[in-house]
Amino acid sequence: MDKNIRIKKYLISALLLIFAGTVFSLFTGKYPLTFALLRGGNPQAVKVFLTLRLPRTCMALLGGFGLGAAGYVYQMVFRNPLASPDIIGVSSGASAGAAFGILFLSAGAFSVALASFLGGLAAVLLTLALTRLAPGRGQGTIVLAGIAVHSLAQTLLMILKLTADPERELASIEYWIMGSLSGISLYRLPFTAVVCFLCLAGIFVLHRQILLLSVDEEESRMLGVPVGKMRLTVLLLATLLTAAIISLTGLISFIGLIAPHTARLITRDNCFPTLLLGGLSGSFLLITADILARSVSSGELPVSIFTSLLGVPFLLYLMLKRA
Amino acid sequence: MKKFISTFMILALAFSITACSAGNTAENLPSSGQTAGESAPAPEQDAAQTTDSNEQDVASTEQGSQQNSAEPAQAGTDADSPDAASAQVTYPVTLTDQLGRQVVIEKEPETLVSGYYISTSLLLALNCQDRLTGIEAKAKTRALYRLSAPSIIDLPSVGSAKEFDLEGCAALNPDLVILPARLQDVIPTLEELGITVLAVNPENQELLEEAARLIGTATNTLPAADALFQSAGDCLAKLDDTLADTKKPSVYLAGNSSFLSTAGTNMYQSALIAQAGGINAASELTDNYWSEISYEQLLAWNPEYIIAASDASYTVDSILNDPNLSECEAVKNGRVYQLPNAIEAWDSPVPGSFVGSLWLASILHPDQYPDSQWKEAATAFYETFYRFTPDLENLYESD
Repeated sequence: MDKNIRIKKYLISALLLIFAGTVFSLFTGKYPLTFALLRGGNPQAVKVFLTLRLPRTCMALLGGFGLGAAGYVYQMVFRNPLASPDIIGVSSGASAGAAFGILFLSAGAFSVALASFLGGLAAVLLTLALTRLAPGRGQGTIVLAGIAVHSLAQTLLMILKLTADPERELASIEYWIMGSLSGISLYRLPFTAVVCFLCLAGIFVLHRQILLLSVDEEESRMLGVPVGKMRLTVLLLATLLTAAIISLTGLISFIGLIAPHTARLITRDNCFPTLLLGGLSGSFLLITADILARSVSSGELPVSIFTSLLGVPFLLYLMLKRA
Repeated sequence: MKKFISTFMILALAFSITACSAGNTAENLPSSGQTAGESAPAPEQDAAQTTDSNEQDVASTEQGSQQNSAEPAQAGTDADSPDAASAQVTYPVTLTDQLGRQVVIEKEPETLVSGYYISTSLLLALNCQDRLTGIEAKAKTRALYRLSAPSIIDLPSVGSAKEFDLEGCAALNPDLVILPARLQDVIPTLEELGITVLAVNPENQELLEEAARLIGTATNTLPAADALFQSAGDCLAKLDDTLADTKKPSVYLAGNSSFLSTAGTNMYQSALIAQAGGINAASELTDNYWSEISYEQLLAWNPEYIIAASDASYTVDSILNDPNLSECEAVKNGRVYQLPNAIEAWDSPVPGSFVGSLWLASILHPDQYPDSQWKEAATAFYETFYRFTPDLENLYESD
């Protein structure tokens, strides 16, 4: 009981922090937006608010939550505290896809997002197909196949970078890999939002099974979980989620890794609240990082700089406090 | 424990700050300490300004100032006429290149290798195309080469700034290799192979002019090097007079990689806007490289004109049709243009870049500076220095 109250307290404070971050995010940015201006109905201000500021804030909340939740799923399924979307090649596949989009399709934001989404998905399907071909099919096989696909995608990315024109294409690729929410607008949000909501709903519904997957394989089989199928479904959900987010924002590092650990250090177990708290700390981390990314310098800075800069000290603080 | 944590956080912050600033300065090559992109080029360069210490140099600079009063076209022909004999270089000559190295050139070089498109276009302007035996990679993509000296396109490639082909360069055994400063790592190796290397760093107008004089001295074509910027300076000075009392509109220069990247005050492109009688909308940015910005930032600046870079990877239509920008002044009024690219990218520090300013002036101030004027100047420039008549009706590469 005592523990439940403690976790509730943490959940509520996380929500409060996120609320504060959201308000702050809505009124931080290059365009001079004030509450009075919005209430006065200044058309330009309202348009900026609705098509740019609000979608960007929503994307930070949703993206952070999604990456945190996906990270939780990966870590549970692989029973590995270092697991992250990279482990089965999503991020490197998405990077290679984005680079391909920048080089061979138009530089329009939509085609790059589509290419990276497909790239991420292709990498994961390849990983899973390789796993199926191998005898055994244990989670060790997935990790190995993932490493192979990850390296393959990295090589592809390197080749694409080599052929890129350093002035425009290479710069675009590098910026994409560093991640940024600056290109988010109302017109680009819907697809990602729908995919995210569906995947998150799926993960929420299956949270019990995910928990069972994290214990011994034999045990979960005895408890009636079709281990192979369930693992595949859950991984696909987490992957779709990640691919949908990073196809829009570019790579955002560390959230998938750090957010679930942060939650685990607070709850000290792997139950449902950990998933929630992992998502929420992801949201908070990303929204804070994005506020900094757009306000620290006169231009836009890559958001990944701040996610790790903010996330690492916090994680270390929790770690040391526990010790 | 708390102490440890706070120390760590400070360290992390310090690290990130240095990482950020390192990222910015990495693009800023070690130069001679000049501020990048000082607004207007200095047509009258006085002798003290040049870093070269040899006598020929000083003498020819004086001659350069005398020519200042002459007509631009005449200055061009002067360059080839024999009475420019006072500017003859006597070898051996010692030069200080743009990496601060002392370079001794024993005799007038008969074979040249250029590892950088800017030095190659300088060599073309100095009428040295027949001496070239090797050039940088991707020469096929340079329209200027095709128009001015098609024969050089098929010369052996010595690679790019990313991947320099040391062996290929050595195999050509040239009398002189001209390299960009960013390839400084390969210089010691080339010198060990007995090849003379001159490093140039034409990051802005002053450095470009200095580079032209260095190459002019090295190849014994100083008068042409002086004349090259004479006509540009005259044209820009005249434009400045014409636009003296005109209101300057704000101009947003959209970068090559994305229209949400732009050039701040310290960049070469900012000078281009200023010379054309515009105000850089992004003047609050002080980065030395393209900065990424957001839609919001662009809407907040609300520029009257949006000019896309020559090699933009997107189209003007994609800006005009972007629903996020529909409220922007420039988009509302359809004032979105792309810098021409059919001849060369005028938004990079090349000798012909002043034509970009003239073109932009005709867009920003059509009443004061009609289309015909920049076309006239561009034709004269390319005919004099690059020996071809530019087709100014088709300003964009059709691909």
